[in-house]
Amino acid sequence: MGSPITKWEGAAEYFTYADKPVILYTILGIAVAVTILAIVKAGRHESEAYEKLNGK
Amino acid sequence: MEQQIAELMAKVAALEKSGGMVGTVGIEAYYFWTTAFMVLIHAGFLSYEMGASRAKNVLATGIKNILAFAFIVPTFFFFGWWIYLAFPGGFTPSADGDAGLPWAMAMGPNLSDNATGVFWAAFTMFAATTASIFSGAVIERIRMSGFVLLAILLGSVLWILAAAWGWHPTGWLLTDWGFHDFGCAGIVHLVAGAFALGVLINLGPRIGKFNADGSANDLPAHNVPMILIGLMMIIVGFFGFLAACVIMVNGAQWTNIYGQPMTLSSVGFNTLMGFAGGVIGAWALTRDPFWMMSGGLGGIIAAAAGIDVWYPPLAFLIGFIGGASIKMVNDFVTKLRIDDAVGAVAVHGWCGIVSLVAVGLMATGYPNPGDAPPVTLTGQVVGLVVCFVVGFVPGYFVSFALKVVRLLRVPDEAQVVGLDLAKVPLRAYPEGGTSLAMQPAE
Repeated sequence: MGSPITKWEGAAEYFTYADKPVILYTILGIAVAVTILAIVKAGRHESEAYEKLNGK
Repeated sequence: MEQQIAELMAKVAALEKSGGMVGTVGIEAYYFWTTAFMVLIHAGFLSYEMGASRAKNVLATGIKNILAFAFIVPTFFFFGWWIYLAFPGGFTPSADGDAGLPWAMAMGPNLSDNATGVFWAAFTMFAATTASIFSGAVIERIRMSGFVLLAILLGSVLWILAAAWGWHPTGWLLTDWGFHDFGCAGIVHLVAGAFALGVLINLGPRIGKFNADGSANDLPAHNVPMILIGLMMIIVGFFGFLAACVIMVNGAQWTNIYGQPMTLSSVGFNTLMGFAGGVIGAWALTRDPFWMMSGGLGGIIAAAAGIDVWYPPLAFLIGFIGGASIKMVNDFVTKLRIDDAVGAVAVHGWCGIVSLVAVGLMATGYPNPGDAPPVTLTGQVVGLVVCFVVGFVPGYFVSFALKVVRLLRVPDEAQVVGLDLAKVPLRAYPEGGTSLAMQPAE
């Protein structure tokens, strides 16, 4: 399903979904979103930890 | 007879193809292993920064260091490599950058491209090194989220923009000014040191660092042996870093990134000589093992811009000057009430300046390929100013913005109890040894 090739002879880009740009962009978009959300979550975790420390 | 000639020609063609493939995978293997060596830089920075922190902050410091590495990798894939390929001419992106877009066919396993992946990996390690340089300066009081944003800005945007301009065969600093920075003394170290300086101004010192009269207190590192071992690991990793600065050409002499011929032997000579000069210079003036090992790093950085051309005793002397001067520069930074916890501004920023100026004073006249002018002092000074501005200005203004939205500095209460206790679900020394109770009161 994910293979863009059916034989190795003459193959060039052979990474998963190389022949399916919509899936490629979707995976990339999810990876970008995960990276951003991880930073946002880190910021929230810090704020909560410091508020807890202050007894708020 | 004709059949024999045809068979012979076929054999020659097969041999040529086979020889070419041996060269291709040889180049691929070379850069792959430089990348593996560069991971040691991060093992070293991890040990160094955790050792330099106080026991109450050791794990938070380690987490920060590891995250800098981890966040640089995807962001450098998302846009860092594209910046390098797209911006050699200035601020207008060129179509050459398309090969570095994250959906390009070169940006993944590809049987017709053995180069992009290993070059991307090596540049990613350069990027993570740049972020780690900044990381040490701000330990024990920077917020993790703000730090990660700043590390991404430095590692996946700023230094690689400077690299596109001054560490690229068609970068405008080379084609217009003949700029020469073989080992990224300006592109990595000065950019990172200047960025750290800009952030430190807004971040402020650790609680207890300065007295009301402006005098500074020593906030002792909790584990100096960890620092020394970490610095030595960074030195080992720098051999991989500098080896990755050399361009391996199939069937021809090595070149630097600018296309000037060179030998890998020059890196062997001058990296060791710069390191030794830096250690001896710092030891001679301070007798302090922390500055001695920092001096080794500073010595390599001071020699880095001209490692491909120095007469080895000259690399030793330049390294000596770099190593001997870093503590004085750090004292000056401290007098300005700037708390640089590991001396990053002095070791990386200052030694980066020494390196670029040294090339401008003593390596002028080396010809550049094509129509690019030869190496000159003017070209080096222009490159120096550009590297400083690319690091300092965004570092200052973005950290100022983060300060305004309260994402830059950890609250004082958390600094006092320690960042580990405040937000890390693990204790570094649960059975004592280096106890929190042993920490000086603030």
